[in-house]
Amino acid sequence: MQVHDKNLAHRESSGPGRWFGEEGTRTARLMIYILLSIVLMFMDQLGQYVPRIRGAMELAFEPVFHVVGWPADALQALEQRTRDRNDLIAENEQLLQQMLKISGSVQTQAALLQENQRLRDLLGATRGRPYLFQFAEMKKVSLDPFSHKVWINAGVKEGVVVGQAVIDGLGIIGQVEDVHRHFSTVRLISDPDHALPVQINRTGLRTVAYGSGETSHLLMPNVPLQADVSPGDVIVTSGLGDRFPPGFPVGEVERVERDSGETFATVYMRPFAALDRGREVLLIDPQAGLKSDLESLPVEQP
Amino acid sequence: MKPNRENRSLIFLTVVAAILLSLIPLPEVLEPFKPYWVALVVIYWSLETQGTISLGLAFLFGIILDIFSGSLMGLHALSLVVMVFLVQHFRPRLRFFPPWQQALSVLGLLVNDRIILIWITALLGEPIPTWKYWLPPLIGMILWPWLFLLLDRIRAMSRQHKS
Repeated sequence: MQVHDKNLAHRESSGPGRWFGEEGTRTARLMIYILLSIVLMFMDQLGQYVPRIRGAMELAFEPVFHVVGWPADALQALEQRTRDRNDLIAENEQLLQQMLKISGSVQTQAALLQENQRLRDLLGATRGRPYLFQFAEMKKVSLDPFSHKVWINAGVKEGVVVGQAVIDGLGIIGQVEDVHRHFSTVRLISDPDHALPVQINRTGLRTVAYGSGETSHLLMPNVPLQADVSPGDVIVTSGLGDRFPPGFPVGEVERVERDSGETFATVYMRPFAALDRGREVLLIDPQAGLKSDLESLPVEQP
Repeated sequence: MKPNRENRSLIFLTVVAAILLSLIPLPEVLEPFKPYWVALVVIYWSLETQGTISLGLAFLFGIILDIFSGSLMGLHALSLVVMVFLVQHFRPRLRFFPPWQQALSVLGLLVNDRIILIWITALLGEPIPTWKYWLPPLIGMILWPWLFLLLDRIRAMSRQHKS
């Protein structure tokens, strides 16, 4: 009893324990840390200071991301090395055929392009913009499950800028969000925070496609009830908003939900791009297209 | 057991290993099953040693994890601080639970953590995740006894090495 008392007296005589007791101190510390993290989260969400600090930290820790990517890279290398020769021959054959087919269509396209240009000249319209593509490889480091982001191995050194559109061979993948020295993060179109201005190719109806949080489909919640949309319609980018160049394929309408109680129909779209599987991506550089456009434009400023 | 230095470096090593483990990309199919490695390791240390993992240290680990995983700054810090606090609070009881009961308590801790996270994401106006969101706590529970044994082993080995 006496020992206990002495212990208590000792504990109470020093530190903050004097007022709250040991348990109380711990609770108070917990509260302080919780408050601190809430303040941090707020600042990060509002974009004050924290994102800049985070950018610097990410730069400092860049090697770690490379190290973390090794197992996946090694697995892939192993897979490539152990592939069957017959498989390779078959794939080669297939690629050759594909290339022939594509080069055929490119030939007709060249003629079309020329014709288009002539018509544009006749109309006195601006020239069509050529796009420059840049190759990059996805380094898929898994991140926050709530946001769909991937990392690609091109950064400031390679001339990547924030907001650049990223595509793969099939369609739009996303846009560049952060640029570091040798890598950048890309927000996928399936991210719940991502909105993509699109157009239905068949009818020309403009709307916005939002990410659903799942790579299997996007949502278009603002389509009028009586709009002419049906499954199978191809969706392309509309080019509004100046982020994504117009005319790039995005996906295909999967199903349309028309509830007469609602103001709008909800359209589900299946994206063409291999959002969860692809590895090689292309970065579109609309600025380069714009620059050459401006240079070639005759001087006719108002 | 008094807080000593031999544990410090070991704690840092295991936590760093846990952070790396949670960053390593997995095949798409396995991705939703990825357990909350850092939390498991932090629970182990605050359960087995007294006072080595303070709330401040948990906060620091959380911030590091936030930087690496690209999540909202402070999200994992909050989650780990709450986790360590709960473990410290119930430590006298948790320590003497049989393994299966301890695994159940770990499940409780992890589920509680997921509830806090879902709260924050809901406040941010992000959509409520699918049922896959609740898989990691289950995997964590299943892995807990093995992880416990593994870390015990590592700790014993390092102690032998020292002496």
